[in-house]
Formats: sequence, structure tokens, C-alpha cells
Amino acid sequence: MIISSYMRREHRECDELFATAEKSVIDGNFEEAEKNFLLFADETLRHFKKEEETLFPTFEKISGSSEGPTMVMRHEHEQVRGLIGKMAGAVESKDMDAYLSMAESMMILLQQHNMKEEQMLYAMCDRMIPQDEKEKTLEVMKTVEL
Amino acid sequence: MFNQGGLSLEQAPPISVVLRFFVTASMFGVLLGIFLLADRLGITSFLTHNKPVIIVHTLALGVMASFMLGALFQMLPVIAGVVIKMPTKKAMLVHLLFVVGLVIQLYAFANASTPLLYFLAVAYLGLGLFYAIYLMLKELFQIKDHSSSSKGMIFSLLSFSIAILFGIYMLLTFGGYIEGSYFTQIKELHYSFALFGWLSLLIVSVSFQVVEMFYITPKYPLLMSKYLTLSIFILLLLKTIAIFMALQTELITVLLSILFMVYAGVTIHRLYYRKRPTSDATVWFWRLGMGLLIVSMLITLLDTFIDISLDVKMLSYISFIGFGLSIVFAMVYKIVPFLTWFHLSNQGYMEAPMMHDIIHPKKAKKHFYIHVSMLMVLMITLFFNSFVGDLLSAFLILVSFGWLLYNLLYAIKKYRYTQKYTKKIEW
Repeated sequence: MIISSYMRREHRECDELFATAEKSVIDGNFEEAEKNFLLFADETLRHFKKEEETLFPTFEKISGSSEGPTMVMRHEHEQVRGLIGKMAGAVESKDMDAYLSMAESMMILLQQHNMKEEQMLYAMCDRMIPQDEKEKTLEVMKTVEL
Repeated sequence: MFNQGGLSLEQAPPISVVLRFFVTASMFGVLLGIFLLADRLGITSFLTHNKPVIIVHTLALGVMASFMLGALFQMLPVIAGVVIKMPTKKAMLVHLLFVVGLVIQLYAFANASTPLLYFLAVAYLGLGLFYAIYLMLKELFQIKDHSSSSKGMIFSLLSFSIAILFGIYMLLTFGGYIEGSYFTQIKELHYSFALFGWLSLLIVSVSFQVVEMFYITPKYPLLMSKYLTLSIFILLLLKTIAIFMALQTELITVLLSILFMVYAGVTIHRLYYRKRPTSDATVWFWRLGMGLLIVSMLITLLDTFIDISLDVKMLSYISFIGFGLSIVFAMVYKIVPFLTWFHLSNQGYMEAPMMHDIIHPKKAKKHFYIHVSMLMVLMITLFFNSFVGDLLSAFLILVSFGWLLYNLLYAIKKYRYTQKYTKKIEW
């Protein structure tokens, strides 16, 4: 289960960063909020990049389809990216209410997305991808930069 | 196979599927408030008998079951990964049969001398509810890798089926169609399966995922998420056997109460350690709901050891109702704004209102205060009988559901406005 545990850990890290950014906004400390939100956005986008450029293609090669689960996940990544852009705007303009409103949507969107990945997609990756290829994929993912 | 369901664009049920049930639930709540207010003022003197049954069923079916059916249609894809095909038509059929059946049932309770009404209530309610249960269980049984939530939903829906079957037996007895030799036993089991099975098991199973998902809390203990719903369902089955064999059921009641108290305690603990710093109304609804569940179960537990006065027993019932309503409100104030935003933005409306523009947290907070006041007045009036207290509690029930109805209609208005007057981007 090396894929599952690695990716799951990344989800939890993103959750922590999201919560820290949200706390800074609630405290009204927008300087901190900007820094923390950037950390969250960077980590989330890096995680997406790892999936879209490394994990998903490996899975698609083995499952023989790029129109299954990975297509849905890519679509949801786009939704999250759109929301990240809008939230960045709210931090910049120090609009607490707009930020918190979007944070609600972001959280539900991200959590249900993560749930599907963790409960289904990662488990399938761990089951279907041969061990040596899994290790290789993991090594490549660890080096991905934004 | 991987299920593409969930909140993905292609598979999410249209928002009308959920909202039709939520609006109906609020309307039944408003009707309940009006009915109680009229009753306190002596206007409904024509309703002399069956009043408690009318109140209980307006609340349990009209309000709670409506909310829960709506939530299930929406949450099955997200939580259990199953998709009901053609949800709009199916939900409409369930909704129609259910509402007609319930209205007939309530009318039958009020006019007990009309046997045909009981038969019609059985036909409409039975068909509507069993059709909904069939649609959901059929999909749930096909899941290969069950989560704690999907398993819990199965037990909840099975409990609902049993509660309905027992309900049908009672309605047919009322109508004089059958003798009803086991009426007393079945009545006890009808309430047990409806409250501890259907309602509580659904809340427990949904909470295993949404508490963590909405508030980023630590996970529930594995032992609990894996075995709690199963244990409760088995205890309910054992209770059925015990009651029909005329055996003592105290031990089962003790175990059920303890299990629910532990669950509520763990949920409060999980919420305390949530990572998200927000403390909006929905967090408070969850805390209150779990606190009330503990109060209700503690009284139920004590009742098996010592003699408890009727007032205190009533306190337990009110706490239980408060528990159910609190959790339902917590869910509605998350689900409705999110779905409104989600559907609109997925349809390509770039100016889709954000969650706070649809139902602002301040509006939910106001509802929380109304809800708490309603429960407090109801509880105080139990011990200090007063006309003013009775009147006030009825009024607060009306205000509580009226406020929710207003918030839901406001969300629908926003949804329609965005669709009608803002630009859509085709992709």
C-alpha cells in the first residue's frame, strides 16, 4: 500500500496547511494568511501535478483507459484550481467573508475528492501496478516540483 | 469497478431531488407549529384523540423522514459511491406517494372512524417508502468494498423497512382489517426500529464520514466505525426476539444506551480536536445534538434501574427529538449552500453565488438560537406547566421551521436568479 500511504499523507498535510491559512484569516492577520495560503496552494498544486503527470499515466497505461476514474479526478482538479485562484484574490483583497465562504466550498470539494481517491483510486493503483513500477512511480513523484 | 459517482459533474443528482424533500420537511414543521399553536389556543378542539400520534408522525415522517430521504438521495453517491439512475423521476414518485400517504395517515388519525383512510395510508406510504428503500438498498448491496458508512446505511434502511412493516400492522389494526393481537409488542418495536434503527443509525453512519470531512477531525476509532452500526442493529433484532418471547429487554436497553452515549462522547471529542478553526452554527448543532443524545440515553439507562417520573421520561423524548433535529439542521446548512454553488458553477455560471451568499452563517446561527430557545422552553414547560410556556414553545417551533423554510426558499431564489440573469459559459 505504498501509493495509498504516501498520497494519503500528502492529503493530510494539505488539510493542515488549509486549516492554518483559514485560522490566519479568521484572526485577521492577512500577511500571515497570504503566506499560509500560498503554502497550501503550492502543496495542493504539486500534489495534483504528481498525480496528473506521474501516477495517473501509470495507472492509465495498466488499466488501458484514460476515460475512467482518472478523467473524473482531473476534472475535479480543475474545479479546485479555479477555486484556488478565487481564494487567492480574496486573500489579496483582505476580504474575510469571501475567503471563508470559498473555504467552505473548497473544503467540501477537496474532501469528497480525497475520499474518492483514497477509498478507490489509490487502492486500485496499489492493487494493479506491479511492485517495482510502484516504487519507481513513487520515486519520480517525490522529485516533482511546481 | 471504480464508480464515477460522487459529486462529479455527470453523476450528481439535480438539486431539485434534494430540495423537494427539504422544503417539504420544513413545511411539515411549519404545519406542526401551526397545529400546536392552534391546539394551545383551543382552536382545534375537533382533534380530541390521537393528538400525540399526530404530533409524533408529523415530526417523525413529515419532518425527519423527509429530510433524511432528501439527504440520502444526495449522499449515497458521495458517501457510498452509488448512483441512482434517473433520480429526478424516481425522487418525484417517492415524494408524491410519501406526501399523499402521510397526509392521508394524519387525517386517518384525526378521524379514526374511517377504515378506508387507514388502508389508503398503508398503500401510499408503504409504496412510496418501500420504493425509496428498494432503490437505495439495491445499489448499496452491489458495493464490493464497503465503508463503515455504506454498511451503516444498509442497517439503517433495513431498520426503516422493519419499522414500516410494523407501522403497517398497526395501521391495519386501527382500520379494523386485522385483529392486532400483538399490537403492544409491535408498537414498542415500531418505535425502537424507527428511532434507534432508522434515524440514529443513519446519523451515526453519515457522521463517520461527514464529521471528518466538514471539520477535519481525527478519525473515529476503527472499532467503533467498523462495528457500532452492526451491533446496534443486532441488538434491535435481539430485542424483537425477546419481546415476542416475553423475555426481559432491560439488558438490551442498557447496552443500546451505553453504545449511543459512547458514540456521542467520541463525536464531541472528535469535534473538539478538529483542525478547522471555524466554529460556525453547524459545529454547534453537532455539539448540541450529541449532548442531547447523551441526556436522552442517560435517562433511558437510569429508567431501567430506578423509577423515573413521567416528566423526566418526557425530557428524554424531547432530548432525543432535539438530537435528531440538531443533526439534520447541521447537515442542511452545509449541504444546501454547497450544492447550490456546486451545481451552478458546474453548469458554467461564472457568477455563481458563493456559499455565504446563499445562506450566510449568521442566518444559520440565528436558527441555532431559535432552536435552543425552543428546546429550553419545551423542557422548562415540562416541569412548570404554564399556558404561556405552552404557547411560546408552539410559537418557537413555528418560527424555527419557518426560518429554515425561508432560508431554503432564499437559496432556491438565488439559484433560479443566477440561471436566469447571469452569463453561462459553455464548455
